[in-house]
Amino acid sequence: MNNYYIKRTGRAVLTLWVTVTLTFGLIRAIPGGPLEMLRARLVRQGVDPSRIDAIIQSRQQESQPIYVEYYEYMSSLLSGNLGESFYFREPVSDIIIDALPWTVFVMVTATIILFAIAVVWGALIAYKEGSTFDTASSGLSILLSSVPFYVLGILFVVVFSYKFGVFPARYRTSPGISPELSFLFIQDALYHAALPIASVVITQVGLQTLAMRGNSIQVLGEDFVRVARLRGLSDRRIATRYVGRNAILPMYTGFLTLIGFNLGGSVILEEIFTYTGIGYYMFEALINRDYPLMMGIFLVITTALVLSVYIADLTYGLIDPRVKSGDSNEAY
Amino acid sequence: MAIDQTTDRRVYSADDPIIEIRNAAVTYDEGRSYVLDHVSLELERGEILGVVGESGSGKSMLASSLLDAVPSPGHLTGEITYRPDGKAPINILELEKADRRSLRWEDISMVFQGAMNSFNPTLDLRTHFEETLRAHDADIKKGLGRAEELLEDLYLEPDRILDSYPHELSGGMQQRALIALSLVLDPDVLVMDEPTAALDLLMQRSILLLLSDLQEKYNLTMVFITHDLPLVAALADRMAIMYAFRLVEIGDTRDIVENAAHPYTRALLNSTPNLDAPLSEMQPIDGQSPAPINMPTGCAYHPRCPLATEECRTEVPDYHEVETDHGSACYHWQASYDEVPLLHENSPGDTTGGVDE
Repeated sequence: MNNYYIKRTGRAVLTLWVTVTLTFGLIRAIPGGPLEMLRARLVRQGVDPSRIDAIIQSRQQESQPIYVEYYEYMSSLLSGNLGESFYFREPVSDIIIDALPWTVFVMVTATIILFAIAVVWGALIAYKEGSTFDTASSGLSILLSSVPFYVLGILFVVVFSYKFGVFPARYRTSPGISPELSFLFIQDALYHAALPIASVVITQVGLQTLAMRGNSIQVLGEDFVRVARLRGLSDRRIATRYVGRNAILPMYTGFLTLIGFNLGGSVILEEIFTYTGIGYYMFEALINRDYPLMMGIFLVITTALVLSVYIADLTYGLIDPRVKSGDSNEAY
Repeated sequence: MAIDQTTDRRVYSADDPIIEIRNAAVTYDEGRSYVLDHVSLELERGEILGVVGESGSGKSMLASSLLDAVPSPGHLTGEITYRPDGKAPINILELEKADRRSLRWEDISMVFQGAMNSFNPTLDLRTHFEETLRAHDADIKKGLGRAEELLEDLYLEPDRILDSYPHELSGGMQQRALIALSLVLDPDVLVMDEPTAALDLLMQRSILLLLSDLQEKYNLTMVFITHDLPLVAALADRMAIMYAFRLVEIGDTRDIVENAAHPYTRALLNSTPNLDAPLSEMQPIDGQSPAPINMPTGCAYHPRCPLATEECRTEVPDYHEVETDHGSACYHWQASYDEVPLLHENSPGDTTGGVDE
């Protein structure tokens, strides 16, 4: 049992290390760089060439052997130093600390909501398998899943923000509202997050609903459900402890990994809604060739994914007794 | 030949029936075909009745009918009367939902085939017992005490079993725990649908031994449904043979095994694998049993029967009284003795060795 946790932890750490190293190598392999970008911009702005050279020179670091760079990169990473953003002229860690909670808030909320809907909806469809409700719901699920979230997001901005003006088109909060634990702040934050959350929920709920439907139909056909009915258990208990619980089990890992994936998927979403989370900054970093920021956010996203799989592995035994001993049972 | 044909219920009747089944029929297509074709049967209080038939002969339908638990969307018609000791008879098929819920498991209980899938994998066994007791408003403490006694009767360690999850138990342990669970509310009748199908031979035998002990101790009436004729012959007082959704022969176990009077039963006895008989002596029955949508007219066995005549092809035979309490649904039961000779000397219990000793 302990062996299992040690193995999972080891694997998570190893994955992170590989990602960090790959990132390090990739960034160096990309042609061009922030200085080229800066030079091009300065040239376009018509700055005097000698001044440009001076500016570039002042930012240029002495090049060192690659293993020294790698060592410094790793040690500063471990001390939480992700370098400084070229474009925003701020430490990358400060930007991430400011932006990450918002992205996590939007994506975790959206994923929880969409799973809650999917579990209930899918189970209901399964109970009514073959009915018109089933056909209509399954059709709707497939239709919704085939709409990309960014298309729906743009549609939302156009319709709800510009045409009717019922929802804000940009930013995390209204100007002048400071982040504090007040009703006004929470209300304003939810108001601004509503459209991004809605576009994620609506476009992702369909697939999960179909998954839940399939699982539930399978569990409903199990002998133990029939025996439970004969034993006289209440319909409610059978629906929750027997059908529900056993149908949700395979979705639990999917739920946690989807949170991880959605954090990565925030890049386009936050750009559409000009929602300044890590996705938004990632987009800005890409456009401006801001490598330190790009790397920092990339690391955060991979860490989130590795972490969510890790958490799924560690906690799966709590919801499924069969994995408690965990010899060869791996959730993902 | 028709002189001895009996249309009354003499051959399947019981002196003190605990359950009476009249014309029980199950259809899934509004009566165009039947997967249980108007079966009548009486269950004697305290007996063990073995119901034997091939796969897909309607045995499980008969078992489910006793609890009015035919899998949806099947439709069960006929009359099934439960006569509790000293109380008014109950018509099972006309019960309200709440009454039916309390009849099941409290009065008539059931063990399914495949014990491995009869427990919720996410709940431990104690919870299974507790929730069953709670659902029937029974005293939890007293009920768990009874559960522990039952588990001990079945040679299991109560504490260990109750604290286990289903996957932590072997198939045989799960099967016995399931039997204990089915008896926890002290039912009068226990219906067992292929309870030993998934177990190895040794386990089958020991479960049979335990069942006959339980039957005596708790004064149970049992219906034991199986495709394994020799297995149930060692346990049952009476046997009923099913073929193509109908009962074709019924009688005391000894009469059925030693003096079977239906060509199908005789062929079934000859086709049963026997550890002592050489392979060359085993005789499979030619052809295959019919599907419900394609039932032959008359006697359903006539396409495979060496004795079939015109009569067999047109009229469904009723029971013919072979002896008292021994009926055979065959016009030519007398001829079957010579036409279908039994290959080995059969006696109840010899093939399951040791059970009777």
